[in-house]
Amino acid sequence: MKGLLLKDLYMTAKYCRAYALIVVVFLVVSFFGNENLFFVFYPCLMVGLIPVNLLSYDERSKWTLYSGTLPYSKAQIVSGKYLIGLFAQAIVLILTAITQAMIMHRDGSFTFSGLMSLMAILTVLSFVTSSFSLPVIFRWGVEKGRIAHAVIIGFAFAGGAAAGMVFQPGVQMEISFGGFLPIMFLLGIGIYALSWYLSIVFYRKREA
Amino acid sequence: MNALEIKNLSKSFPGFQLDNLNLTLPMGCIMGLIGENGAGKSTTIKLILDILHKDSGSITILGRDNRENIRLTKEDVGVVMDEVGLPECLTAKQVGKVMRHTFQNWKQEEYDRLLTKLHLPDNKRFKDFSRGMKMKLGIAIALSHGSKLLLLDEATGGLDPVVRDEVVEMFHEFTRDPNHSILISSHIVSDLEKLCDYVAFLHNGKLLLCEEKDELLAKYSLLHCTPEELQRLPSFAVRYVRKNPYGMEAVVERSGIPADMKCSPIGLEELFVFMVKEGR
Repeated sequence: MKGLLLKDLYMTAKYCRAYALIVVVFLVVSFFGNENLFFVFYPCLMVGLIPVNLLSYDERSKWTLYSGTLPYSKAQIVSGKYLIGLFAQAIVLILTAITQAMIMHRDGSFTFSGLMSLMAILTVLSFVTSSFSLPVIFRWGVEKGRIAHAVIIGFAFAGGAAAGMVFQPGVQMEISFGGFLPIMFLLGIGIYALSWYLSIVFYRKREA
Repeated sequence: MNALEIKNLSKSFPGFQLDNLNLTLPMGCIMGLIGENGAGKSTTIKLILDILHKDSGSITILGRDNRENIRLTKEDVGVVMDEVGLPECLTAKQVGKVMRHTFQNWKQEEYDRLLTKLHLPDNKRFKDFSRGMKMKLGIAIALSHGSKLLLLDEATGGLDPVVRDEVVEMFHEFTRDPNHSILISSHIVSDLEKLCDYVAFLHNGKLLLCEEKDELLAKYSLLHCTPEELQRLPSFAVRYVRKNPYGMEAVVERSGIPADMKCSPIGLEELFVFMVKEGR
């Protein structure tokens, strides 16, 4: 399992450098006054593409077949991608939370519940995007997974736009989610866990 | 114990069927799988590794059923497929680090020795390797984790004759240990002729024969004769016949041929071609 993660880290460092740059640029833009929620949501949505991209490179290099000759179970091969996704999403969510907290402090609008409300929405969005595309990829391959990802990103942006109508940018949230907050976090994580399980089931059935 | 036992193995795809395959590879031996493109060689190797799921039959690798803890079995099996599927951005050095965390018995010193022996640069990216270099890296990996069985699918393809000879020698060296065995498929029958103790001919998903190579080559001969001479031979001795502009060419069983008739030795490639083309 360590070998799989190390290989994916090497690949992420090589192929996904641009993602890190985009995340930094978007966070800086959102900090320096752009009140469009797109700059908050996009890095979280985009980072869900990392495992999808890695799988695409795996398929192109025939690693998908070669990994079947190595002493890894199919569950481990799937889990490697989900762990990389989890790791990348956690980093972006933490960076976003720090940036938003700084914006709120600067604007004098900081409330813990307000920050957590935003983070709950971001957690759901961030996990949901890859949760839909990864099982599709593990069952039918990268091409169909990309279509699934594009569809879900479309829905996510529609959701983001709807959220933009409810919340003021700069995260001056008037609505408190109260008891729904933990449920939203759990929903995001639960969807990811279900997706993880489904991918393992699908990949076990798939023949290279 | 046999290194590999395949019994009544079948697998169907649309347009292809591997039909009731039976093979036994004794420990310490090398078996060559010979067959044209699409004969079922790669399918057989993928079924052995459970990359493809068999429809029926049984596969035993080093005494263990291949569906039973295949992860543990794969620790002892070195595999080189016709395309080595390593990530293109990795260097041989990084591949070594990944494999060190993949195989329990990874031997870094052996890997480094093989990289040097095979003239593989450790800091060049895999995508910049030639096909031959890619195959050599795949072979270096397969030989660096204490494998007891090597499964090689067209592993000598893309290598120049000098390197191919070196690699064939490495495989010979590998089987000097009586607990080591190799199943190798190749289009380059001359490599298999040099290397193998056993040969199996596959054609259209069916096993045509599986025999000890030396016995096989001792059993059959190539006879050039006239149609009349051919008529006089006992029918059981004549296996395959081909007409050419100079007369007849036949694969015959030496034991059934009169001592005064001049036969020439037959190679595996000729024998295979006769079996496939004239056996139709």
